[in-house]
Amino acid sequence: MAGLFPNKMEEALWRRFRDCFTSEVADDFLQILLTLMQAMFVLNPDYRRNILGFDGRYQFRSEDGQVSVAAVFADDRMQVIKGTIPDPHITVIFRSGRSLLNFIISPRQDILGSMLRHDVRTEGNLNYLNKFGYMAKHLQLMMPQL
Amino acid sequence: MTTVTLADISLKEHTLETLPRLAELRRQALARTPEICIERARYITRYLQSHDDPDDAPEVRRAKMVRYFLAHKSAPFHDANLLAGSTTSKPLGAPLFPEFFALYIWPELEVVGERKKNPQKLSAREARELNFEIFPFWMERNVIEVTRSRYNNPRCLQLFENLVFFIASKAGCISHCVPWYRTMLERGLEGIRDEARAKEERARQAGNRTGADFYRAVQIALEGVLAHAARLADEAEQRAAKSKDPEMRREYAAMARVCRRVPARPAETFREALNAIWLCQVGIHAENINMAMSPGRLDQVLYPWYRRDIEAGRLDVARAIELVGCLWLKIADNVTMVPEASEEMFGGAGTVPAITLGGIDGQGEDAVNDLTYVMLRATELLRIRDPNVNARYDYEKNSKAYCRRVSEVILNTRAVPAFYNDHANITALLGQGESPEHARDYAIVGCVELASNGRDYPASSSIMLNLAAPLEMALFRGRRPITGEEQIGPRTPDPAGLESFEEFWEIFKTQLDWLIDQAVQLNEHMGHVHQEMLPSPLLSALFRGPLEKGRDLIHGGALYNSSGATHIGFGDVVDSLNAIEQAVFIDKKYTFRELLNGVRNDFAGPAGEKMRQYLKNRTPKYGTEEPVARKNARNLVHHLFTKYQSYTNYRGGPYRPSYWTMTNHAGLGGITGALPHGRKAGQVFTSGITPVSGAAPELTACLNSVAELGGEHIPGGWALNIKYTPEKDRAAMAERFAETIEAYFRAGGHQVQFNIMTYEMLLDAKKHPEKYPELLVRVSGYSAYFKDLNKMMQDELITRTQYDLEGGGAVPLPPEAQGE
Repeated sequence: MAGLFPNKMEEALWRRFRDCFTSEVADDFLQILLTLMQAMFVLNPDYRRNILGFDGRYQFRSEDGQVSVAAVFADDRMQVIKGTIPDPHITVIFRSGRSLLNFIISPRQDILGSMLRHDVRTEGNLNYLNKFGYMAKHLQLMMPQL
Repeated sequence: MTTVTLADISLKEHTLETLPRLAELRRQALARTPEICIERARYITRYLQSHDDPDDAPEVRRAKMVRYFLAHKSAPFHDANLLAGSTTSKPLGAPLFPEFFALYIWPELEVVGERKKNPQKLSAREARELNFEIFPFWMERNVIEVTRSRYNNPRCLQLFENLVFFIASKAGCISHCVPWYRTMLERGLEGIRDEARAKEERARQAGNRTGADFYRAVQIALEGVLAHAARLADEAEQRAAKSKDPEMRREYAAMARVCRRVPARPAETFREALNAIWLCQVGIHAENINMAMSPGRLDQVLYPWYRRDIEAGRLDVARAIELVGCLWLKIADNVTMVPEASEEMFGGAGTVPAITLGGIDGQGEDAVNDLTYVMLRATELLRIRDPNVNARYDYEKNSKAYCRRVSEVILNTRAVPAFYNDHANITALLGQGESPEHARDYAIVGCVELASNGRDYPASSSIMLNLAAPLEMALFRGRRPITGEEQIGPRTPDPAGLESFEEFWEIFKTQLDWLIDQAVQLNEHMGHVHQEMLPSPLLSALFRGPLEKGRDLIHGGALYNSSGATHIGFGDVVDSLNAIEQAVFIDKKYTFRELLNGVRNDFAGPAGEKMRQYLKNRTPKYGTEEPVARKNARNLVHHLFTKYQSYTNYRGGPYRPSYWTMTNHAGLGGITGALPHGRKAGQVFTSGITPVSGAAPELTACLNSVAELGGEHIPGGWALNIKYTPEKDRAAMAERFAETIEAYFRAGGHQVQFNIMTYEMLLDAKKHPEKYPELLVRVSGYSAYFKDLNKMMQDELITRTQYDLEGGGAVPLPPEAQGE
């Protein structure tokens, strides 16, 4: 994957994803992550293998209610939905984009600390979050030299 | 009856120089980086996907799965150890148990081998297999998710997942027990299998289908162990045939002969007996997670084989130490899989398989024998994290020489073994309805827990309750600062309006009891899930009770069936109660509202700091002879005992309170707000039942104040951590050490463990870990290498009170340690 940019949009997505790790704010982290994930499932067959036959319904929302977005995996595809979905396997409630990033993917990942400090809370089956965490981490490892 | 014939019980002529095999095996063991082993996860997943029959009884399904795995398990010989068999396919393996928390490593699969603290190697190929083949199968099938689904995500489960109230360990294990190995050694697994076959037939004829299924499951599971032993024999024979080194040829051939005989048939030699026990441990770990699966009183169980071989001239002491050392190193061949997120709670821990030495026998006579000293010498020479070696001591029956020898080993290793008082522990088990013979034959499980050897299935880590949680809930009307405005416990009255300490004590008990109710309810839910998902027919075959009752351990097959509940933050909570009573109601130095404000604001500002200094230095402390402190400690212990004993668990046994904390006191302290005894937010709690660091300036008062809590009210065991300044005159120190132990035990103390090191040494080890690669420390019930511990835990060990044994006073904490 490294060094290949089929189009400018993809490159821009990677840049924005990379910037989340250095930015203090990382407010858009979730949106960037889900968008990039969605793109890579289309572009990369090996990465797509993660969702073949996988049914998973994820609800993400910020503590203040400003952000509410869902990721639905079905029919070997990923769909990102604004708002709430019924019957998610897991709901992730976070204080800020930075706290979500620290929870899921940061090189200085602090899952336990995030939960203990209630920066991030979950409701539902944690194994779905574990799988999501793998896919997000793998995406990070796929990040090309920019 | 005393059976000590050794001229020199210290066995000092036997060293790592005279035992080069042990020296080399030890060197290799300490140099190893753990590797995640996916073998078990792979085969049980394949079995369940392709061969499982849901119409079988749960015990039979489990037994078939175990047999399938053991039949396919690799048979590696990693080094020159004289015993055959390994827990995993790796030299130092972290096996994965997807029934429990294995999936929590999923996000880290591609980086776990590179993490800074305690990396665990995993190949890219195996990581992909886990990601694509194994983990997806288990997403709805591990204990916690089955419990969530079965009980509709109950409130008690949500509290557990909050992490700051209690830990429900059944989500991750039961294990924590001591098998009964005597029958296996005397009759072989084939003998046990034949008994199960005959009983299955009788049960079928009587129309007892449940019993018949259980006996069938036992036979199936035992066949798995026998198949694995046969495979090891095949492999050893092949290696013997291929090896060009005559010495190696002989050794492989000897191992093949051993595995052809045991554990199938009765052991004839000491070496066979050792290897038979080890192969059963390997088999048990195919079924049960590697957490505190404790071999027990091996100096008692193995003594007949040792004595026979010595008398027959087939064995000498040097070879016995070598063989025991080989077993110790085998027992240490595995670690737990620890996700990075759990490093704060459990980082640096081994799997804590406990060995128990010495004490008295079932008839109440001195049980110390030559093998006790052989095992002590092996422990002293190896100085490794696992097994967790423990020494029982009966101050009336065991010799002073024995007590002094154990003391010497502690001084020489700086940390092991831990010391246990037979009088207090047997009294505690008698109080739980155990017969005198069974209580006297107790062994240590895992960290510090007590169980009658092979008769008690104690699930001793079922609940780990954070005592600071109900204290905060009592202060803040059922809420905790860390969980914000959420109403957690009952809405109790505002303490600011209280007129007496007794009223606050009642409120505290209301919150505490509510939280215990939640923890017990979740343990019961998970217990039922275990009954459906995770019977243990193999472990049941190696226990007293299940074969007699026709019932698996998980259904109450053992003779004794307790559940354990341990407590985090005991010393801090007692001191907080003392501070409230003294400052608000006796001295009336501050109103309760002022105290609450101080706690809420983390004693901010000059006035807050002034209050904190008063609370810290002028209120009674647990660990001293202050009457208020002694009363509150006693009342808390008594209340917890009464509360837990009011429940009956899903196997028909009682709940037993205990006081040990692993590393949870560091992790939970780190996220808890300020407390009324002047503790600032984020400071670690004190470990086990130990007084708060710096609070108990006199050693004698400290030991007495802890010891007086002993007896029937603490049937689950405790961990008291004491740090002593090393002295140049080791012999004189050993003498004083042994005398102090005896005095503490006569006062009623259950247990004590030591770190023989100074503040300065630990500060230096933190700063220069490369200078202390093998520094072994006692944490709270188990041992760890200091370099492996997280920063909070290292700091907790540094700041633990250090006593000079000679003068009996606490050594002042040096200024450079005060920021730790």
